[in-house]
Amino acid sequence: MSSGQSQAPLPYTDERHQAAAQFLTEEAHLLDTSDFEAWLGLMDRRIRYRMPVRVTAVKAADEVDVQTMHHFDEDWYSLRKRVQRFQTDYAWTEDPQSRIRHHVSNVRTFEGSDDELIVESAVLLYRSRGDRTAPSLLSAGRTDVLIPTEEGLRLRQRDIEIDESVLRTQNLAIFL
Amino acid sequence: MADAEPNGIADITGAVRQGLIPAFLYNDAQVHELERTRLFGRSWNFLAHESEIAQPDDYVVRNIGDDSFLVTRDSDGQIHVMFNMCVHRGMQVCRAERGSARTFRCPYHAWTYKNDGQLAGLPFHADAYGGEAGFIKEGQALLRAPSVAIRNGMIFASLDPDAPDFETWLGDYAFYLDFYTGQSEAGMEFRGPQRWRVEANWKIGAENFMGDSYHTPHTHASVVDIELFGEPKPYKRKEGVLWHAGPGGGTTYKLPPGSDFGSGLAYVGYPDEMIDRMAATLSPAQRALVDEPGFMPSASTLFPNLSFVHNWPQTDAEGRITPFISVRLWQPVGPGETEVYSWFCVAADAPEDYKAASYKAYLMCFGSSGMFEQDDVENWVSITTMARGSMARNLLLNNRMGLTLDGEPIVDQFEGFGGPGTAYQGFGEHNQRHWFSMWADLVSQPAPARQPMAFGMGEQPA
Ligand code: FES
Ligand SMILES: [Fe+2]
Repeated sequence: MSSGQSQAPLPYTDERHQAAAQFLTEEAHLLDTSDFEAWLGLMDRRIRYRMPVRVTAVKAADEVDVQTMHHFDEDWYSLRKRVQRFQTDYAWTEDPQSRIRHHVSNVRTFEGSDDELIVESAVLLYRSRGDRTAPSLLSAGRTDVLIPTEEGLRLRQRDIEIDESVLRTQNLAIFL
Repeated sequence: MADAEPNGIADITGAVRQGLIPAFLYNDAQVHELERTRLFGRSWNFLAHESEIAQPDDYVVRNIGDDSFLVTRDSDGQIHVMFNMCVHRGMQVCRAERGSARTFRCPYHAWTYKNDGQLAGLPFHADAYGGEAGFIKEGQALLRAPSVAIRNGMIFASLDPDAPDFETWLGDYAFYLDFYTGQSEAGMEFRGPQRWRVEANWKIGAENFMGDSYHTPHTHASVVDIELFGEPKPYKRKEGVLWHAGPGGGTTYKLPPGSDFGSGLAYVGYPDEMIDRMAATLSPAQRALVDEPGFMPSASTLFPNLSFVHNWPQTDAEGRITPFISVRLWQPVGPGETEVYSWFCVAADAPEDYKAASYKAYLMCFGSSGMFEQDDVENWVSITTMARGSMARNLLLNNRMGLTLDGEPIVDQFEGFGGPGTAYQGFGEHNQRHWFSMWADLVSQPAPARQPMAFGMGEQPA
C-alpha cells in the first residue's frame, strides 16, 4: 500500500481519472454533511474497509503495521451498523455533532483488472468538538478499488494508511 | 521531597473512604504527582502478554508511568523486563515499539546490550577508560524492573523491589481472571494493542470497568437500539451481580433461568470447541459461577489500571452471537490525559472461524472505533474538563450508591453467587468504593525508598 502502484497513473485528462477524483470529492461532501445513508449507498455490498494499526519499528524490519490488528476492518454489515448508530437518538459522542471536514488531495488513478480503478489519495480530517477541547487532525493515505456500475462508480475496497501509531483523537466516530 | 506529607491528603483520603470523591481528583497536578510516585511506584503494573513476544529474540517496549521498559524474550526463551535507558549517558536504548533483535545498540555512543540486558559492547573500552581499570564492564547490564511476575502469560512489573508477592496480592481475583485470560490450556493470543490518547483522567475508565453497571443502559442505549448487543437493557443489567475480590472487581450479566456451564456459554455464543477448552481449564468452582442462578462476567478491573471486557454482540446479518474479550490499560500521561492500550484477546488454539468472528465483535464494540467505547470516552473527557476548575474543589461527588446514609448496604450480600469475595445484586458503587479504598491506601503512604546505583564503579547492581 505505502509502496504504491508499479504502473504509471492515468493522465489527469483521462475521463476515468476525472470520474474517480469527482467520486472522492462527492464522497467527502456526503461525510462532511453527515449524509451517511447516501454515503453507504456508494459502497459495493462486498465492501472491505480496513485501517490497520501502524507501528514504530526499526527501518530494517520494514514493518509498517500490526498485521493482525486494525482500527477498522469492516464489511457491509458492520459499516451499516455504524451508520445506523449515528441515526439513533443516543449516539452521544456525536451529539452535539463534531464540525468535520475531509480534505482530499494527491489523487492518482490506475487501471485495475477488468474495469476496476485503483485510486490513491491523501485525506486530512479536521474535527472540532464542543467549545472546550482542542480540535484534532487525522492524516491518512488511502488506496481504493472503485468499480463501474450502472449507477456510477462504487467503492469495493478501501485500505487506509493512518499516519500515526498512537491516535491523538478521542475516538473514531468518523469515516476516512 | 515526595515523602513530605502533601497538604490535604488526609482530607482527600478521608472523604474517599466515606464514598465521597473530591471532584478535582480527576484533574489535578498534585494528585497526579502523588499517583506517579506513591501509587504507580508501588503497584503491580501490566506490561505485555507472552504471545506478543512469542519467538526467541522478540521484544516490545512498554511504559509504566513515565518509565520506558524493554520487555524481551532472549535467545533461550527467558523473559526479561529492563529499564530502557542506557547506563552510559541515558539515551533511550530501543526506540521502536516492537520487533526482533539479539542485541540493542544505543544510538548515542554505541554501547551494545544483549537481549537479556547484559552489556556486550563498549567501544574503545581500553582507549577511553583504560579498560576495567576505569570502567568495570564485566557483569554490567541494563537496570532490571525491580519485581516481575507472570500469570496466564500476562507480564507484570512493579517499581518497588519490596512489592508484595504477586500471587498473594492477586488473591481471589485470580478466580475471575481465568474467565478472561485462562480459556485454554494452549494459552491466549493478545493482538494489538490499538493505542490512542484521550483527554480524560485514567481513574475514570478503571472505576467504570470495575463496577459501573448503572451507566450501561443509558450511555450505551444506541447499541441496544441498533440490535448490536441486546443485554444492556435496564431490567437485565440490574439483575447482574457486582463482585469484588482481592485487588479487583467486576460486573456480570444474569444468564437465563436454568443455565448450566455448557448452556450458559452457548447462550453468549461460545462454540462447542471453546466450551470444551474452558471446561478443561476452569475448576469446578469456577464453572459453577455459570450454573444456575448463573452469571457471566462482563467488565472488570484489576487495580490500578488494567481492565477487561467480555460482551457478546451480534456479528453478522444472520444473527450470529459471538463473544469477545478485550484487555485494556489506562496509562496516565498527565492529570488530564490518558493513553489507552486496547488488546483483543482470544484462545490461541480457538477455531479460525471463531477467532475471526470474535475479532469482528471486538472491533465493532470496543477499541478506538468501538461503538461502546465511543460514548464512554465522550463522558470521561467531559468529567475531566469539568474537574479542572475552581468549583470542582468544593464538590464532593457521591460514590455511595448501594448504601444508606448510615452506611448500611441497602440489600444483603447475594448468597447464591458462585464466586469468592463480596457480591451484591443490582446497581451499586460497592466496587468503585473498593477501588478508591485501595487508591487511598497507596497515595497516603510515602513512595518506596530508592537506592541509587552507580555503574562500572565496582559494586554490582542488584
Ligand atoms: S548514552 Fe548510550 S552509549 Fe552513550
Ligand atoms: Fe461503558
